[in-house]
Amino acid sequence: MDLPGGGTLMAKPKKSKGKGKGRAKPKKKTIASRADRHKLYQAAVQSPEADVEFFSKVFKDLRGRTAKSMREDFCGTAYLSCTWADSKKSRSAVGIDLDQPTLDWGREHNLSTLSEAAQRRVQLVQGNVLDGLGDPTDITCALNFSYGVFKTREQLKRYFEVARERLVDDGVFITELYGGFDAIIESEEERELDGFTYVWQQAEYNPINHHTLCHIHFRFPDGSKIRKAFTYDWRLWTVPELRELLIEAGFSDTKVFWERTDEDGDGTGEYVATEEEENQDSWLVYVVGVK
Amino acid sequence: MQTQTVSPAKRSKKRPSKKKRAKKKKTEAERADRHALYERAVQDPATDAATLAKLYKSLRKKAPKSLREDFCGTATLSTEWVKGGKSRTAFGVDLDRPTLDWGIENNIGGLSTGAAARIQVIEGNVLDATGPHCDVTAALNFSYCCLKDRKTLVAYFRNVHRNMPEDGLFIMDVLGGSETMGEDENRHDLGEFTYRWKQHFFDPLTHEMRCSISFYFDDGSKLAPAFEYDWRLWTMPELCDALEEAGFSRVHRMWEKTDKRGNATGDFFEPKRVENQESWWTYLVAER
Repeated sequence: MDLPGGGTLMAKPKKSKGKGKGRAKPKKKTIASRADRHKLYQAAVQSPEADVEFFSKVFKDLRGRTAKSMREDFCGTAYLSCTWADSKKSRSAVGIDLDQPTLDWGREHNLSTLSEAAQRRVQLVQGNVLDGLGDPTDITCALNFSYGVFKTREQLKRYFEVARERLVDDGVFITELYGGFDAIIESEEERELDGFTYVWQQAEYNPINHHTLCHIHFRFPDGSKIRKAFTYDWRLWTVPELRELLIEAGFSDTKVFWERTDEDGDGTGEYVATEEEENQDSWLVYVVGVK
Repeated sequence: MQTQTVSPAKRSKKRPSKKKRAKKKKTEAERADRHALYERAVQDPATDAATLAKLYKSLRKKAPKSLREDFCGTATLSTEWVKGGKSRTAFGVDLDRPTLDWGIENNIGGLSTGAAARIQVIEGNVLDATGPHCDVTAALNFSYCCLKDRKTLVAYFRNVHRNMPEDGLFIMDVLGGSETMGEDENRHDLGEFTYRWKQHFFDPLTHEMRCSISFYFDDGSKLAPAFEYDWRLWTMPELCDALEEAGFSRVHRMWEKTDKRGNATGDFFEPKRVENQESWWTYLVAER
């Protein structure tokens, strides 16, 4: 799926499958067997610097001050939390995820690359986002569509209520959503990246309940591949549903940010608040809840 | 009045055009009746009535008698419903007096006195629960999409729920598919006229949709647009969530069976999963 901005696309890993363990044959290891799916994921679908820039601007515009603390729900490898804490000395982050092995990977590969001082400003917590762990923050974010695991209104509303509760009084909740004509059909899209091919597969999309089953696969120049490196079983929520639920959960206002395009119709990476848009093949928006 | 005093020269100058106007035959569009065209182009009330009865019978193991037709328009479904047997009654509700009057004259007026006496249509708002409790409450042709706000939609569903018997069913149709969420246009040549459905606009941020129906005739005249709609295109899960919130105990998401060649059969079943299509319409059946 070729989304505007080529930015964050899919959710963080949830399962930590052992790979490259079958060493029965003495032949040369394939690229796939030597690859690290978390590293590939981060390279393929995440751009935390762009997220940090957007968060900073939105918060400043809405609240007239600089955002300092951020909670990253469904943080996975905490790539964004680390980038956030590293962006300013006054900034701290708490990342929350259910999956301990993924958090451990993030600690080893992302957190450890920061200065000691910056490392101290990042807290990683293994837990459920519904438990509202950690201190109240200026920003809470839920990126990469992970909240799609909440498939009923009741569950998603509960999550939004917790997210709101764990914000400071002038806090802001930021999430994102993808959609468009191509988002609601079965399909497979490839993107060539440095040293590997990223494949986004929508294996199922069920119009009667909007449940979708998606996979990320990676393919390598030597013909080897990692099939189903990540699998997602979501309800693909719509923008009006998210906005209605945010308001029901107690947020005072919601905003939607849409990516600006240039004359050729290509995404510029700049997101602007909007109230009316034409549908297109594929889009990605930030949805913001104002406490 | 001024024309009475103009000079003969001027009068004669004007005459040709007057003559032309007087002699000019009305265009097909001018002679057409948009309600009649609408019924021919998009409605199939006999099939709808049969499907509603079939859906009711499959869940309730008995034949339905009374029908409430919300957003009834010309009451063509109600008319067809009462033709189905002497025990059948229908109650239609619509906001628009002229459309109801057209239906009273052209649809109900064509029934036998006995059948006509079994239909009641009232000018009213579906948000005000009035009228008898009916076995089946139907909201067809996607008219509920004019209720764009979720609270209003749930309020409407609550009214339906309150205003039906214990074993009553609420049946609505749903429009969807990837191509319904964008600009689109399709035309069907129906012999004496061509029907055009046009989706002018769809906003993915609100699911607001503007669309219209137009009719085109062989003499080049047209009724364009004959009907305009300003909707929120509600999705199937949104409708199900709202129905449950309004108190309905069970909602059945139906889908039309297709034959080996992929053609629609008119029979509906309740699948767990289907593949999305460019465009589809189907029924939701809600139990009180």
